[in-house]
Amino acid sequence: MTDPETLAAATVVVPALVAALVWVLPRTWVTRTALVGALATGGLAAALTAVALTGDRPLAGPWLVIDVPGGLLVGIIGAVGLVSVLVSPAYLGAAAGALVDPRRRERTYYSALLVFWSALLAVPLAGTLGAAWLLVEATTAASALLVGFSGRATALEAGWKYLVLTSLGLGVALLGIVLLAAGTPEGGLGALSWQVLPTYAGGARSALVVYVLLLAGLAAKIGWAPVHNWLPDAHSEAPAPVSALLSAALLPAVLLVAWRCEQGLEPVIGVGPARDVLLVFGLLSVAVSVPFMLRPMAWKRLLAYSSLEHMGVVAIGLGFATPLALAGVAVHLVAHAVAKTLGFCLVTPLLAHAPEAARSPVSGIARSSPVLGGAMGLSLGSLAGLPPSPLFVSELLIVAGGFQAGRVVTATAAAVLLALAFSCLVRALLELTLGEAPARTGPVSGSASASGSVSGSVSGSASGSALPGLRGVGVLVAASLVLLLALAGAASWLPASDLVDTLMKGIA
Amino acid sequence: MNAGLVWVLVGLGFAVVTLQRRSLAVGLVTVQALVLAAVAFADARGPHDLLAAVALVVRGLGLAAFFLLVIARTRDPRLVRAIVPPLRRVALAIALALMLGWLIPSIGLVSRDAERGVLTLVACGLVLAATSRATVFQVLGVVLVENGLALAALELPGTSWLIEVGVAVDLTLVAVVAGVFHERIFTEFGAGDTDALRSLRD
Repeated sequence: MTDPETLAAATVVVPALVAALVWVLPRTWVTRTALVGALATGGLAAALTAVALTGDRPLAGPWLVIDVPGGLLVGIIGAVGLVSVLVSPAYLGAAAGALVDPRRRERTYYSALLVFWSALLAVPLAGTLGAAWLLVEATTAASALLVGFSGRATALEAGWKYLVLTSLGLGVALLGIVLLAAGTPEGGLGALSWQVLPTYAGGARSALVVYVLLLAGLAAKIGWAPVHNWLPDAHSEAPAPVSALLSAALLPAVLLVAWRCEQGLEPVIGVGPARDVLLVFGLLSVAVSVPFMLRPMAWKRLLAYSSLEHMGVVAIGLGFATPLALAGVAVHLVAHAVAKTLGFCLVTPLLAHAPEAARSPVSGIARSSPVLGGAMGLSLGSLAGLPPSPLFVSELLIVAGGFQAGRVVTATAAAVLLALAFSCLVRALLELTLGEAPARTGPVSGSASASGSVSGSVSGSASGSALPGLRGVGVLVAASLVLLLALAGAASWLPASDLVDTLMKGIA
Repeated sequence: MNAGLVWVLVGLGFAVVTLQRRSLAVGLVTVQALVLAAVAFADARGPHDLLAAVALVVRGLGLAAFFLLVIARTRDPRLVRAIVPPLRRVALAIALALMLGWLIPSIGLVSRDAERGVLTLVACGLVLAATSRATVFQVLGVVLVENGLALAALELPGTSWLIEVGVAVDLTLVAVVAGVFHERIFTEFGAGDTDALRSLRD
């Protein structure tokens, strides 16, 4: 094995091993072991990302691929996973109830989270479509357990819906894979490798059927409309650290698989139809998200619908596939991950400050807790694309990329939909931060479930500095601010960089 | 695979769609998996093919034991009726199978009967999952779809062992997690009925 291969294997294996360790170690060691394992995995993922982004050309073997888009995703998944594990003790300390025996609550949570993270890290590195499908399906099993982890009736509903809908969707994608294997001259494992997809010999029409089945199946997992029904429920009912991983890491990872399918089959289907399918999913997702984001809704649910919008934006960028649009996609994925992770990590202090936020829209948080309100404003303002948010720059690049591709009507439609989504989220931002604040006397001590069923007494200052989980999140807020500003700056030189040139070439 | 066996598999699929008793449906889905395994053993030409056949047997029997255990632990006080009556579900499955056959004229499998069989089983699975209220039947819908895809993998011109083994592992994982959810739903609502899961709406 060469060094990048060893590094890739270690990045995937370490969290899986730590998950097994967490399962067998004494209870007092569980959290510490998970945190140490997460730090090691985060470091390995960062190193692998550096190798992938600075390498001369992609490393593509029968099982493994290390290229620029994969490296970018490994970096995102590594960082989001690390933050998710680091903020988990605050979530477990504040939340009540569990799907499993309370005595095994912590070890089940960390084991499932680390297995989920391990499978997610492996998805962008999978060298074949078959392996990628298996890994995506594996993420379903681990993450469904986590979605229903609180054991509440609504969490069971969300977890069940997620499990059944995404499993059926992946069944449809598997039908596409079987069709693909039947029409590829090279049989066996090689038939499903990314580099072999352009040799599909079943003809353009058959390839289009395969492609639509693959994308329709994967869409159920990405959360693209119209097969997005599970997404708002799962993201709003899962423990907040898991929601961050679902939204900022899982959706883009599966989207990468869909993009690799598009790149592989484009030479057979033709550039137009292949990209049109992505554009249809993208425009539809943004369009469907707008009316929901217009309505006042609970914080986590709002973030979930914003995920639907942002995955739509990324699909539009991939559908345009010009240097400008792909630069926009790269910036968008990273900035979305930063802003969304911050948003979900603020849930624990938010529920302590305003327990009703679990089920209802909240207003005037910045008035009653300036620190918390400011942090939530940073997250939502960035997600809305409020300048100088890097998501503003990325959306501008994607729309400009559409005009560069000569798709004037589609780019105009995308611009209009993005403007509508922007106004919905800015309205929510104003209401959330500066709206009328109901009387709140301060943080609630005791046990707060993610559903908002908080038991305990109201005490302490109203400044928000004493809210559980907020002190740790302060570091994250500062890091997010620096990262978002750096990304906004980087976005201006990215379209002319080698990185985008490599993205344009793909694996093949 | 000869046409007769393919249509036996399809017949079992339609039978599952019409049933309301969970244990009977588990039995028929298991018979389907074992028929597929028998064909895989008969057609095996090397260690990889044998591995695929073993994976089918282990998956079929393992899931049967697991589902029957789950059913025994969660006896529904009343029959959970499906959203759509049995005959209408069969009609829906036939309509979907015909539509899939029209959309996907050729899969590229060894036999045309197998191609039709695959699409019909996928249609049966999708209809069963979409029109059932009982949690166990929704998961059996996923299993039916996967059985259809296992048939397709067996009839592929090249090596298909990776698909068979992968499907077996993943299906087992999904079924185990579904079992955990089913038991909790039963404890929470007193029945494995998805009709109770309707509180999350926008």
